Amino acid sequence: MYGLVDATSFYASAEKVFDPSIRNKPVVVLTNNDGCICAACPIAKRLGIPKFTPYFQIKELLHKHGVVIRSSNYELYADLSERMMTVISRYCDNQHIYSIDESFLHFDRFNKAISNWHEYGHQIRKAIWKETRLPVGVGFGLTATLAKVANHAAKKLDGFDGVAVIDTIESASPILQRMNTSDIWGIGRRITKKLAEQNIHTAFELAKQNPKDIRQQFSVVTERTVNELTGISCLSWDEVKAPKQEIFSTRSFGQRITNYNVLNAALASHASIVAKKLRQQSSQVKKLMVFASNSPHDDYYYKQAIAYPFALPTNNTSQLAQAVSLVLPQIYQSGINFYRCGVGAIELAGNKFVQGDLFNIDNTNPELMKCFDNINKRYGAGSISVASAGQSEKWNMKRHFLSPQYTTNWYDIPKITC
Amino acid sequence: MKVIPIYIEAGISGFESPAAEYKELGLSLDKLLIRHPNATFIGQASGVSMQGVGIFDGDLLIVDRALTARNGDVIVANYNGCFVCKIIDKQQARLLSASKHHQPITISPDDDFQLEGVVTRSIRLHHQAPELKACMV
Repeated sequence: MYGLVDATSFYASAEKVFDPSIRNKPVVVLTNNDGCICAACPIAKRLGIPKFTPYFQIKELLHKHGVVIRSSNYELYADLSERMMTVISRYCDNQHIYSIDESFLHFDRFNKAISNWHEYGHQIRKAIWKETRLPVGVGFGLTATLAKVANHAAKKLDGFDGVAVIDTIESASPILQRMNTSDIWGIGRRITKKLAEQNIHTAFELAKQNPKDIRQQFSVVTERTVNELTGISCLSWDEVKAPKQEIFSTRSFGQRITNYNVLNAALASHASIVAKKLRQQSSQVKKLMVFASNSPHDDYYYKQAIAYPFALPTNNTSQLAQAVSLVLPQIYQSGINFYRCGVGAIELAGNKFVQGDLFNIDNTNPELMKCFDNINKRYGAGSISVASAGQSEKWNMKRHFLSPQYTTNWYDIPKITC
Repeated sequence: MKVIPIYIEAGISGFESPAAEYKELGLSLDKLLIRHPNATFIGQASGVSMQGVGIFDGDLLIVDRALTARNGDVIVANYNGCFVCKIIDKQQARLLSASKHHQPITISPDDDFQLEGVVTRSIRLHHQAPELKACMV
């Protein structure tokens, strides 16, 4: 049996944990630089507040409904996520943290010890709510894809109480009938469109297709999804845990940038973030993409992206920062008011099997990077950084509606009235 | 330049500390004070109604959500959108203060009320902590 546990509107729910004054109010959280709405709590959703809408466009609507607005408080979310994941880990010996707010579970060895999955799901929900005050949905399924399906049902479909179990093929059908193909894990926008052309609209209709035909028209990946929907496990646990194929760090600036060095600092910071993420998933980058642009709303839209191939794959922060500095002359143009920039690792390699090079010495220095990461972990992110990332705050985030960092900053701990 | 990576004994390093092999991790206050790290948060007391149980204005409260409150426990609750620290009287659904100047509060069904956790420890800072300076105002 597979399980998927994830938090309901995680960012918005996290805002409510240490602020009881907004527990019963509609809450939305804005993306970086307060650009768009990225999370809305269930109360806000019921008011019809749309997600992924630019904040300035629905400012009025939010005001009218008395919606509480928050900037993304990543320090708080990271801490709450860790707490939630640790609580979840008590319920399964094989957990894979899939994203900041979701965990896959694989019940293999003690499958038979659990007699009532529905009850078990509620135990998990209750424990997480009690100990962290985060609401979660729990789905169990015969395959990883069906666990995702069950989780969707648990949270989004009427008639479920936060837990859904697909332990037989028959129990999957009524749920699949109520799901669009686009709701299925691994079915993207392009495939959805192509399926619709063939009159396949619901997950149920997709599950009924002949896997062989699907493979011919789409790919092996889509064929697997069809099999998984019918209870045949095709994704091995290792594939569920497969590391990300691309890693990006990108952001728009609070203030426009025209200065070469400031842009270099911003890009070097993105390079550091990418390098850190690479190390976390034991990957190395073979090809790095560096890009910057002004705003598409400007009179003259300027965008430049340069790919930098490494002679040897690396995840060393200073090598990534160096690559940024090397390509920047091709990106920077004076007179452009830069609004956005980023760095992306677009071709990755695993740490395990690295092809050596006769003419290039491997100087990725993993020991130094381990020390680097440990210092930042112990004394807070940014305690140590590459010099080129600079100290400039100019390109940093605009967070006008930021809540306190209740659990990571002494200054911000909750006040309790006595 | 070639460097030979061999350590050379200077002969004046003296004896190795006889205590070196007895070195262990130092005492950790976290370990002593926090039983369920994932379910625990730290808050700061504001007000004088709990002085009777030794909680003074500005003290730190360690709040454990994993424990189930028993009658008479010092707890933190969400009372009408505000975190309050009181003694819970479960039988009569009341919040009691530890001061004769404060009356018990009866929780009515109209109140917004949730138990948030049990106060397992409180910490007095007899000497000001710079990290908390702003909170003490």
